[in-house]
Amino acid sequence: MKDSYTLKSLAVLLENNKISSKELTSEYLKNIENGKELNCYNTISQEKALIDAEKSDERRKSQNLRSKYDGIPIGIKDLFCTKGVTTTASSKILSNFVPNYESTVTQNCDDAGLISLGKLNCDEFAMGSTNKTSFFGSVKNPWKSVNSDNELVPGGSSGGSAAAVSGDLCVASLGTDTGGSIRQPASFTGTVGLKPSYGRVSRWGIVAFASSLDQAGPITKTVEDAAILLDIISGHDEKDSTSSVNPKENYYQNLNSDIKGMKIGIPKEFRSDKLPASTQKSWDECANLLKTNGAEIVDISLPHTMSALPAYYIIAPAEASSNLARYDGVRYGLRVKGNDLIDMYEKTRSEGFGDEVKRRILIGTYVLSSGYYDAYYIKAQKIRSLIKSDYVEAFKKVDAILTPSTPSTAFEIANEPSDPVQNYLNDIFTVPVNLAGLPGISIPFANDENNLPIGLQLITNSFEEQKLLNVARNIEETINYSETPEKWWLK
Amino acid sequence: MEFDKKSLLKLGKLARISISDDKLNNLSKDLNSILEFVDQLKEIKTDQVDPTSNSLDQKLEVRDDKVDTKNSAEDILENAPEKEMDFFVVPKVIE
Repeated sequence: MKDSYTLKSLAVLLENNKISSKELTSEYLKNIENGKELNCYNTISQEKALIDAEKSDERRKSQNLRSKYDGIPIGIKDLFCTKGVTTTASSKILSNFVPNYESTVTQNCDDAGLISLGKLNCDEFAMGSTNKTSFFGSVKNPWKSVNSDNELVPGGSSGGSAAAVSGDLCVASLGTDTGGSIRQPASFTGTVGLKPSYGRVSRWGIVAFASSLDQAGPITKTVEDAAILLDIISGHDEKDSTSSVNPKENYYQNLNSDIKGMKIGIPKEFRSDKLPASTQKSWDECANLLKTNGAEIVDISLPHTMSALPAYYIIAPAEASSNLARYDGVRYGLRVKGNDLIDMYEKTRSEGFGDEVKRRILIGTYVLSSGYYDAYYIKAQKIRSLIKSDYVEAFKKVDAILTPSTPSTAFEIANEPSDPVQNYLNDIFTVPVNLAGLPGISIPFANDENNLPIGLQLITNSFEEQKLLNVARNIEETINYSETPEKWWLK
Repeated sequence: MEFDKKSLLKLGKLARISISDDKLNNLSKDLNSILEFVDQLKEIKTDQVDPTSNSLDQKLEVRDDKVDTKNSAEDILENAPEKEMDFFVVPKVIE
């Protein structure tokens, strides 16, 4: 297996008959088998993937391809409903759930001929930043510190999606991002993670966490691959009333890394003494690099940045408590017998949900309850307006904003803080982007003194994914980050 | 302490999650820590600000009112823990 496999390179290999889809799919299935210790996959679709690969090879023979990428296998976060394939959201309450419908995003992938290798582990209902809240256990980060043999978190919630790409258990994957769940794990694993604008990608058939914030997006090895996968998954969907009617663009074809004359904003509120020196250094270096490549660096202010995280921890749990009310043991999922209907609800939900999900449902119930609704929920929505207008003002002055993706690099699984609020701070740089509905991308920039990847985040205005990808591509082209983790799990 | 034992049990009732006695202490500590964190928003003046419930600036489209054959009773009941004929079965509600 070559580390240099990308969607782009595999399309060429398939086109030139250097490899068949079946051979490629078998190769990845073997990697998945050998990488079981990483715990990336909740479900491995061995049989189905091989059958689908054979069908793709037949399509190629008969020159009836669904797209250039027909036959390339990818991994799918276990939050996308997939017809006939168990979809658990990494929760006990859905551990037996086999949807009889397909999410729009995974249908779009199928329509392009992509093959699903299986369902990737994540934090339970996408609530977490370490992948430790999964009912199926933590995912292990393929990266390790040079100074320690201890296992590291891959980030979350799309931890399996990021670790699988980083460890070559798939070439690209689908994740979802409500407050940083694509960008933060991408940053922790040296991969590229793109959260599109709210509405760019259909949410239909994705297990809902916080409906006004959730967006699906790709995790890939390169910016080019992110553009390719975004082309495949994005677009209006009549089944999702919040999917945008803005016409989708041809992101990959229009990729243009020329940034001459662009203005890149550096927000002062993201600066902190607590930021590791190596992260600060990467951030500064990247700004200098963009300047060298022809952009103008502009200091900007996003005054309400520090209010984003507390506002998020009102809005997201409020929406989650409503969305998760559906898990009651009546129509699907786990049912725990009770003395009466209410007792059945309470026992089912108490046994079916893990601690973090319960905490968020309870907080959400509290902030929506009579007497607290205005003080918390409406207040947070007002703060959301302030955050959004910060960005509206900023984008009058700049084309894109550059920040770190995370306040630290990957940390040890054993060192996860026990206080939930300490964990929430992982998403301090990513959450404002969701509240404002903007697109954001995390790209690997360098490795720190422990040889762990540092990710930087770019943000643009709503539906300016093309510009976002162009700036990201410029950085990628210039630095040519090519670090890969040592495959300790093969020993 | 905003979340004491009594208020926590009431919240559990509202959320339909039973909370066992041995979990009460930790849960109250965690929820109070979260509440304290979000309470910092109280210091920000928002009298003149309208709330945002969704960042998308788009009016909701009305779809065509046409019949389709999706979502049959059979499909909907496929994952039911307990069913009978075309119904979900739940514990008896009325005595």
